[in-house]
Order: sequence, then C-alpha cells, then structure tokens
Amino acid sequence: MQPLRRPRLFGSQCSASPHPLGCGLAGLLLAVISLCFGDAASAATHFHPYVPDSPDLVLQRVPSMTDPRVRAFDSLRNRLDGDPHDMDLAVQLADAYIDYGRSTGDARYVGRGMAVVQPWLRQVPTPIPALLVSATVLQNRHDFTQSRATLTALLARDPRNLQAWLTMATVEMVQADYPAANAACVQVAQIGGDFMGTLCTAQLRSLTGRAQQAYALLRLIEHPGAAAPPAIKGYLEGLLADAAMRLGKTAAADRHFRAALQWTPGDNFLLADYADFLLDQHRPAAVETLLEGDGSSDTSFLRTIFAECALHDPRAAADAATMRARFAAMDRRGSRLYPREHAEFVLYVEHDPGRALMLARANWTGQRSPQDMRILLAAALAAREPQAAQAVLAVLARSHLQDPAIARLTAAIQTAMRGAPEVAARSGTSP
Amino acid sequence: MKSLRWRRIALLVGLALTSLPAFAHKESDAYLTLRADAADSHVLEGQWDIALRDLDFALGIDSNHDGQITWGEVRAHRTAIESYALARLAIKGDGLTCTMSPMGQQIDEHTDGAYDVIEFRSTCDKDIPAKLAVVYQLFADLDPYHRGIVTIHADGVTTGAVLGPEVPVATLDLRRPDRWQEFRSFVTDGLWHIWTGIDHLLFIMSLLLQAVMVRRRTDDPDGGAVDWIGGGGALVAGAGGTGGTWVAARTRARYEWVPVRSWWPAFIDVIKVISGFTLSHSVTLTLATLGIIDLPSRLVESGIAISVIVAAANNLYPIVRQRIWLIAFAFGFVHGLGFASALYGLQLPPLSMAASLGGFNVGVELGQEAIVLAIMPVAFLLRRTRFYRDGVLRWGSVIIIALATGWLIQRAFDVLIPGFSAILPT
Repeated sequence: MQPLRRPRLFGSQCSASPHPLGCGLAGLLLAVISLCFGDAASAATHFHPYVPDSPDLVLQRVPSMTDPRVRAFDSLRNRLDGDPHDMDLAVQLADAYIDYGRSTGDARYVGRGMAVVQPWLRQVPTPIPALLVSATVLQNRHDFTQSRATLTALLARDPRNLQAWLTMATVEMVQADYPAANAACVQVAQIGGDFMGTLCTAQLRSLTGRAQQAYALLRLIEHPGAAAPPAIKGYLEGLLADAAMRLGKTAAADRHFRAALQWTPGDNFLLADYADFLLDQHRPAAVETLLEGDGSSDTSFLRTIFAECALHDPRAAADAATMRARFAAMDRRGSRLYPREHAEFVLYVEHDPGRALMLARANWTGQRSPQDMRILLAAALAAREPQAAQAVLAVLARSHLQDPAIARLTAAIQTAMRGAPEVAARSGTSP
Repeated sequence: MKSLRWRRIALLVGLALTSLPAFAHKESDAYLTLRADAADSHVLEGQWDIALRDLDFALGIDSNHDGQITWGEVRAHRTAIESYALARLAIKGDGLTCTMSPMGQQIDEHTDGAYDVIEFRSTCDKDIPAKLAVVYQLFADLDPYHRGIVTIHADGVTTGAVLGPEVPVATLDLRRPDRWQEFRSFVTDGLWHIWTGIDHLLFIMSLLLQAVMVRRRTDDPDGGAVDWIGGGGALVAGAGGTGGTWVAARTRARYEWVPVRSWWPAFIDVIKVISGFTLSHSVTLTLATLGIIDLPSRLVESGIAISVIVAAANNLYPIVRQRIWLIAFAFGFVHGLGFASALYGLQLPPLSMAASLGGFNVGVELGQEAIVLAIMPVAFLLRRTRFYRDGVLRWGSVIIIALATGWLIQRAFDVLIPGFSAILPT
C-alpha cells in the first residue's frame, strides 16, 4: 500500500521572505498588522485531473469500520433501510451522524443527519423528535436565528424537552442573551438533574464574569466516576480549561487542556481551542507540534499557519495560499461555516484590516462568543474604527466577562475612542 | 442525574452543548462543467467532479472498509458511479432531449480532498439552444446542504449557477451578453412589476385622483373668492407634523372638493408627484439591489401598505393639501425597497447590473406614465361630476383604505385574513 498521496495544490516556489517587522503574531492577542511575509504565494496553479498510476494508490481517507461510532451508525442505517418508516430509528441515526460530524469536524455528517429526518419534517404537525433534529442541525450550522425559532415552537408543544432546553441555552449563550440562557439553564436543571444543570450554568457563569464560580462548580463534577464515557470527561476538562484561562490561571488551563485531549484525542473542537490558548501564551512551536499531521482539518490548518507566521516558518506563504484557496472554495458555494476564522485569517495573515472588520461585523450578527468579541475588537482597532466595536462593549458592559485578552483589547479600544487613534494603532501593531 | 444514563448525557452534550463546532472542511460540493462542442452543435462535453467521500457515503466505494479509498476501488466502481450520477442530471430546453454517455474517469484534487472526475458527453436531438435548463439532483436525498457548482462555456460565454436540493434547476443563457437586450428585458420586467403590483398602483392612483380637484373652504363668507390653498401651504408647513391637530382644532370650518379650473395646474401637480416618487424609489431600489441596505421584507411590505392608507386617507381628511408630491417622495423610499425584491439575489457583473437596474427603473417609469396617461384625461373630464367627487374620490379612497388595511394586517402580523386574498391577490 502506498502512502496517502497529497499533491500540493500550489507551487512550492513561492518564497516566504519575512517582512522586516517580522512575524509579529502575538498569538491572537492584539491586532497585529505587521506583515507576516512579504510576497504572498501568488503562483496558484490548480491541480489537473489525472489518472493514477497504481491501483493501490490511496486517494482519500474515509471513516473506517474500526471506529465503533462508524459501526454503530452503519448498523442503524441498515436497520432503517429495512424499516424506512421507523422515526425513532431515523432520529437515532441522525443524532449519531451529527455527533460524529461535530467531534470529527466533518461537516458533511451534519447535513446527512438532516437528510435522514427529512420525510418527517414534511409532516404537519412535524413530530417533535424530527423537529429537534432540525433545530440541532441549524444550531450546528450556525443558523442560530432559525434554530431558536424552531426550538421556541417545539418547546411550546413540549415544555419538558431536555435536549431542546439545552440547545436553547447554547444558542442564547452564543448570541450573548445571557438572561435567556439562564432561564434555559434553570429548565435544564429542573428536568435533567444536577449534573446537566451544573454543566449548563457553569458555562454561563464562565461567560458572565463569574469564572471563579464556574471553575468551582466544574471541579465538583470533574470526576464523574468510571461509568462516565470519555466524551463527558473530556468535555468537562475542556470547560475547566476555559474557566481557568478566564481566571488567568494559565498553568491550570494547560493541565486541563492536556487532560481533555487524553480523554478525547483528536477532537477537532478541542484542538482548535487549545491551539488558540497556546498562541495566546506565545507558544507557537507547541501549536505546530499539537496540530502536526492534522492539516486536512481547516480549523487546525489555520492555527498551524498562525504558528508558522509567528515562527517565521518558510512554509507559511504556501500554506496561506492553500488556505486562501479553501476560503475561495467556500465562497463559491455561497455559505460559510466559519465566518470568524475567515475574519481572523484576513486580519492576521492577509493583513487587510478593512476587509477583516467587514467580515468580523458580519460574523457578529450571527454569533457573539468571546472569540467573536475578540476578532471584532481586534479588527476595529486595526482598521482604526474603534466605534465599530461598540456592540461588543455593550455586551461586555452587561456580561462583565472576565478574559485577560479581551480586557486588553477593550482598554485599547476605549483609549482609541477617547480620541487618540494613534495610540491605539501603536498598541495594536506592537506585539 | 440519576434519571439519565451516561450514554444519553454524552449524546446530549455532544448534540446540544457545543456552541461553535469547529468544522474541518466545508460542506459537500461537486463541480459540474459543461462545454459546447465547437464541431458538433448537438453536443455538450461534460466534466463532473464529485468528492470521493460523498460517493463513498452514497455507494460504499471503500469495499474493504479499511478507511482508505484506493484508485483500484474507485475504478472498480466506475460504472456504478457513472450511472448513479448521470441519472441525477438532466439538460433541458426548448423540447430538447439529451442523452448522457460516460467517456472517461480521472481523479482531481480539490481543496478538501480527492474527487472522482466523470467525463461525459451529452448528445442532444437538436442544436443546443441559447437557453438551457440544468436539472441537478445529486445527493438530493442524502444531504440538503450539498451544492453543485455548475459552469457552462459556450462560444466565448461563461455562465453558471449554484444548485442544490432546495434549488435544483437553473436556466442558463448561453448567448453573448447583449446589454441592449438585457436592458429591454428589464424594462419589461419593470413595467410588469408596477402593473401587476397592485399596491404600487393604488398608491399612485390615490395621489392622482385628487390632482384634478382643489380643497375649498365652504363656510367662508366670501365663498369661493378665497382660494385658501394660496396661503394654506404656509399654515400647514408652519404646523409641521401636527397638521392633523390643526385641522381638528378648526372643526367648525368646512371644506369640500371643487374641480380645478384648468388642465395645467393639475398637470404640473401630477408631474411633481411622479418625479418625487421616481427620485426616492430610484435611490432605495439602487441601494437595495446593490446590497447596501437590506430591510426585512415584512417591514417593507407593511410600510407599502401604510403608504397606500396614508395616500388614500389624505383624500378623505386632507392633511397634506398642496404638496402632495411630498407624500410621493417620502413613501417612494419604501416602494423602492419593494421594487428591489424583484431584483433580489441578482448577482451580476457591474455592467450587466447597471443595464438591468437602469432598465428596470425605466420600466417602472414607463408603467407609471402609462397609468397617468390613462387616468388623467378621464379624471379631468369627469372632475365636475358628482360621480367623480363622491363615487371615485371619496368611496374609491374608502375602498383603497380598506384593502390596504387588510394588507397591513396580513403583512405586519403575518396572518391570513380568511377570504381576503380572494378579493385581490397581494
């Protein structure tokens, strides 16, 4: 068997000549507008169709039957093919697809989950379980407005639906409607019990200036016993890491991240989260090691490029060109799954603050998590339009979010607003 | 927690609690390219790049389930892939029947992995027409977010569309872009839009109906000697937004509609109304079509209904007496946003965009003038009759208000009034 063939999409002749100012990527901390590399890879030559030489050439990796999750949904799919009218089976299969798509980062599985319940979505009234799948898919695809509308309709018919309340809590947290998220968490605690309630409220507290409480609550349930599946343990450690990071306890955060990765190695979301943390800690080399060999994942690849920039890695130019092509491919289909990441790429790698600000603002209309706040603050600062970040300041004034990086950016924005744009620009450029 | 099993908790957390999943790749896309054959006018050469992961999901390409798709496995499934895909594509147009035959199989690398390349030939029973419809149903039952990115090249013209389960058909025009033709077709669109847009029509009509009349105070001892409109403009202008209160405060004063004496003042009024309307709706039409402003259609449509109510109510209880064109100008902004809905989603190159926007505007204009030309002479001739004053001006306005109120309720509250749509389609 030959090794996986990964032809480079772009010529490798593009040299990365670091700008005199250097690869000033101070993590994602500040709006860094020094140039990462002088000439961007411009000689983009598309790969052309070819006929492989050997039948053993591996062209593509796909989910393998050695993965128990794949075996599980394969058997569900076979059973559903035998009994296509069984909605419970369909919903189970859809849930399995969506969960797999989320943890592996393969967005295709989210749509596949939606397709499975499509026949029931056409019924009037739509059966609750199918409606719940569609709300989950919408939430996963960042269509929070539609997801919330579906959940509201669903909860009016079934007010004790735990998964719907949990999803609602998540949607409200992402959109920074914290009182509504709290109301949903209360329902979750009442219906789902202490454990679920604690998970929900700890997340909310972490976002609303009570990271200390969040951390303490999560420590209470940190060791849920041997029976708990690794996914739960990994998830808890990830939340602990986030809370520790908000509190400025970087050593503890690092420990929790590594513990989380031991429980759920390769979790795409966790890898991205940990890489962002490491970039903040000025540890780009650790990012390269962490994400080594995960270049086929866009979110990992993007963070690898940030690290390469910071390290003056000569691969940065070619990799950035590849990433640019991936974003262009997304634009062609007309929908974006990661608008925030695109804004980050444009700001930190392309150094186009104006366009980054446009993208960050568009992103802000859909999602308002701390990372979304950061990119809007940073882009507004870099573009010397501090007023553009007003919406973030308004949310922060309500939420009292603790976050060292956001606090620094906010201070810079406020200085800039007080009429000292040069100061802001300077603090934005110096790493 | 006691009530829930760990497996259920794990699933709940996976499905519901992850706020912003980090996806590793974009969603599923396929790339379909069709090329007119210069030698044979019945033939389109096709290339269809479909992701191996999608084909594996649909057909099971990874026969030995080792998680690796080899070229040998892809080649072994060639017939299955071709018949699966080509059965889900149709090319139509003008009674055209085309048959697809596979010609070759290759591999290509796209930004998110390896794709199977189906080379095929579409042989049709007639010359390929200038307007082609592509019907695209690949993975329609497997992934609602799959997109087929279709590009057609013919005789120096390149055109394309993004299709998917929700929008499976696109009609593509292969003729060279003819700006004049483009312009004319949008003129027609604009014309039709105003003629079939009954709400735009009623708004203009409400403003025109009173152009052949003037308001006169009847309890004035001097009778018709004082044409108060002469000084009234200043009074109304002075009262500003509280014009209504001003009228109410002088309840004892009585007014009536009297016909204008001559054609010209009425005609000038009409010109002002139409120009005001044109000026403002052109602005918002352009801004909205270019995507610079984007208001929810519910808001716009409700605003249009309100404008009709205001225009018609002004015929019954005149608040704005002299500068009718101000109403036309102010509400023209809202109507322009409404016109833009006809051009919504039009993603054209700048030149085509200019041609279509300009054409559409000219069409709307011509439509308006046609209405003016049809109504004004009749209104002018009938202006002295009781039929016109009571039947047309008063009761006509009442009916218009009733209709527009119905629209307003339907549009603002998103409800259907039973039987209402039967009277007039909205």
